[in-house]
Amino acid sequence: MAAATTAKSPGSVPAEKEQRFYFDVKWVIILAIVAFLVIFEVLPMLYLVIRAFTADGGVSFHAFQRVYTYPMNWMALKNTLITATCSMILGVIIAFPLAWLVGRTNLYGKKFFRTLFVTTYMVPPYVGAMAWLRLLNPSVGTLNVFLKNLLHLAENPFNIYTVGGLVWVLTSFYYPYAFITISRAMEKMDPSLEEASKISGASPLKTLWTITLPMMAPSIVAAALLVFVSAGSCYGIPSIIGAPGQVHTVTTRIIDFVSIGNQDGITDATTLAVFLMVIANVVLYVSNFVVGKKQYITVSGKSTRPNIVDLGRWRIPITILVILFATVVVLIPFASVATTSFTKNLGKPLLSFADGKLVTDNFVLRFWERVVTRESILQSAGRSVLYAALAASFGIIVSCVMAYLLQRTNVRGKSIPDFLITLGSGTPSVVIALGLIMTMSGRFIINIYNTMWIMIVAYMVKYLLMGMRTVVSAMSQIHPSLEEASLISGASWLRSFKDVTIPLIAPSVVAGWFLIFMPCFYELTMSTLLYSTYTKTLGIELFTYQTFHSQQTAAALATVILLLVIAANWLLNKLTNGEFSI
Amino acid sequence: MSKRFIAGLLALVMALTMLAGCGGGNEPAPAPAPAPAPTPDQGSAPAEPSPADVSGDVLIYTSMYEDIIEAIKPELKKAFPNLNVEFFYGGTGKLQTKVAAEIETGKLSCDMLMVAEPAYSLELKEGGWLEPYVTPAAETLAFDYDKEGYWYPVRICNMVLAYNPELKKKEEIPNSFYDFAYNEAVKGKTSMGNPLTSGTAMAAVAALIDKYGEDYFVALGKQGTMVESGSVAAGKLETGECDVIMILEESILKMREEDDSQLEVIYPTDGTIVIPSTIMTIAADKSEHNNIAACQAITDWFLSNEGQKNIVKGWMHSVVATYPEPPYDAIPTQEILKNTMPVNWEFCYKSRDDIRTKFQEHVTIPESK
Repeated sequence: MAAATTAKSPGSVPAEKEQRFYFDVKWVIILAIVAFLVIFEVLPMLYLVIRAFTADGGVSFHAFQRVYTYPMNWMALKNTLITATCSMILGVIIAFPLAWLVGRTNLYGKKFFRTLFVTTYMVPPYVGAMAWLRLLNPSVGTLNVFLKNLLHLAENPFNIYTVGGLVWVLTSFYYPYAFITISRAMEKMDPSLEEASKISGASPLKTLWTITLPMMAPSIVAAALLVFVSAGSCYGIPSIIGAPGQVHTVTTRIIDFVSIGNQDGITDATTLAVFLMVIANVVLYVSNFVVGKKQYITVSGKSTRPNIVDLGRWRIPITILVILFATVVVLIPFASVATTSFTKNLGKPLLSFADGKLVTDNFVLRFWERVVTRESILQSAGRSVLYAALAASFGIIVSCVMAYLLQRTNVRGKSIPDFLITLGSGTPSVVIALGLIMTMSGRFIINIYNTMWIMIVAYMVKYLLMGMRTVVSAMSQIHPSLEEASLISGASWLRSFKDVTIPLIAPSVVAGWFLIFMPCFYELTMSTLLYSTYTKTLGIELFTYQTFHSQQTAAALATVILLLVIAANWLLNKLTNGEFSI
Repeated sequence: MSKRFIAGLLALVMALTMLAGCGGGNEPAPAPAPAPAPTPDQGSAPAEPSPADVSGDVLIYTSMYEDIIEAIKPELKKAFPNLNVEFFYGGTGKLQTKVAAEIETGKLSCDMLMVAEPAYSLELKEGGWLEPYVTPAAETLAFDYDKEGYWYPVRICNMVLAYNPELKKKEEIPNSFYDFAYNEAVKGKTSMGNPLTSGTAMAAVAALIDKYGEDYFVALGKQGTMVESGSVAAGKLETGECDVIMILEESILKMREEDDSQLEVIYPTDGTIVIPSTIMTIAADKSEHNNIAACQAITDWFLSNEGQKNIVKGWMHSVVATYPEPPYDAIPTQEILKNTMPVNWEFCYKSRDDIRTKFQEHVTIPESK
């Protein structure tokens, strides 16, 4: 056992043949992962930085000066920081209590709520943006008008085209990231500490405050930063919600610069992207090396169910509150999208009554028909499934290996790939895409531009983390004694990994696969820069229909995606007798 | 435990097949490297190609709406049964960026372009990226074309204003581009396209700054004009979020015919901005499939009565002088041409970056805010 976990370097391995074999495999795998990350993540990002400084030939700060002395860009930088910070704070304020209520209390319908909140993660954010635009636009937003009449206000209460509006929509779409992260940590937390607190006479609230919260702190910070980076690097929502109100963010500026289409535009985009990258890296540094060092989480080998807090007389009021939240944040926008998909004239109600009869003139199935018959949409959907499945499958293999390395070995340097994966996920999508375009189009040997591989690589760099975290946390719950038994019985490292470890963490592997698959499936920001003639994906299709052709078709497409997600979740649940769902 | 794993795998596979069921199956093989396709004709001086003769592949980058592409594809198949024509749709900005990136590699990944305005054609011609071809259809054209045959107008898009008569009276709202920016009654309730991503919006703002000066942009900024795509703007006109929008005539006509929309076009009193969009063939050695004969046949087809019929069916105006009818619900092309706001294409092309920058500073993110 000692040999398996305390090797110092590949050279110092005892000379026994079989042992050397499995150490070699381990190193080959680590090196492969690191090589992948260095080639497709580190080098492109470095190239961006270098290019930003050397745009005019020699080393210079000209591009920086031009870009950062431009008031318009400053405004965008400011907006990005404000919206990302506010969404982060708001997101955690929402996600923590929800995760606690769903995971640790006897809230009514908590399983349903869990699925509902996670479902939001599965929906393209820009679809939600479109829904909120219709609900809360300042002049005729449906919800706005409803509230105005209800409360007898002189004016519509909300204006979505503001920084506040942007924060609201970003929060409502990125809090699930925090919810998932925090829920997971809560599941693996050892409940005996809480029990001890309870036995010592502390109230549930006091236990929450003095035990649960401090123990959760690292996860909360991680969750917060995940929301921060996701919100800060989002393109779809600011382009739909922010732009009409002249609220621009760094991402919309970058895409604008790229749209200009000339060399200056690309240089400016690169230079601005470096800013996003720096912010993201600082954030990551803080999360990983300052906060992340404190590992409060204690996990016992036994699989103990966390104790359930009785909400007592608060059970019903709190459930009602959660229902209200779910209605506003999830149900209303989704319903709005679904309704839009059947509406011919957006200015009129879908169904109305005239002379006591139901008027269905405005109800059409045409957009649905278009979605399921149009060749280009079907092709793009097929491609998206393929690319996302490939990214998720490669990604989950890497995740499993990483989980093993992190949880079961003391191999020196194991934190390097871990850090790189975290770095990739923290890097704004636009930056990844720009870096890949510039380095992967043949200038440096590799040429995968205009192929599906550039997209798959980009997806993996960006979304590996969610999968890895899921598997790592599952792995940490399994006692190493089982694997040791396998190793002692003479199985190789690969064999014991395959026969012992993988089956034990299977549910998390599947969940992790889906957590990678879904965001890749509808990815927009990177795809919009990387796609070409034969690699158009569903996200692009959805966004193009949304902005250029027909919002109703886009709504129908979004509803189809949503239904598929729900169906997949239900099926998984059913097949595994509730063992896992997404 | 392993049972659980198998169940998981099974679930995964099933979920996948289910998802794939909605769209998989017809996945075309990704095209990694530009492979030279069968090239029936390497020569640059072909004889009149007859439809059955042309074969192979042609890839066209276009900014025509996907609904229109879908309608045109079967027609082209009928005209050229042996030819495989693919369209790649993108907004003008997106396509120009793509082309710019491809230009750096010395070769384009397409064979023809049906995108943007003459300004862009001038630029590509100057760069030596186009193949000349003098089509017999040239003399029937009512609009300027390149006399050496590097580009031809193929469809007419008109930048106009639009309003919702169910919510507003025509007299209450701006009827000219000038009032669109200066009439305070519609402050915060106007919308227009983005010259960074849309070629027609670019042409329109070039015409407007040419006529009214930079002040016009300042006024748009003060007006709080929302900068967004036509589809979003039209939606806002229907719901009443906007009172008047600057939009392509074709977008409104399409909604009127397909969705019985009540939205109406206003042909601005200070002149409709008429934007011919061009068709170009990429120079043989710089194109994807090097299929010049087919490209020439396609050019002829688009400029023929048959091709123009599809253009007009797609709610755009014909470029042929004698073409009898305008698109659905539009006024005759000749009527529109009586009152236009001219676009200086040379200026549009040479000052593009400058115009875009000014537009962004004044309208997209006004510094005053």
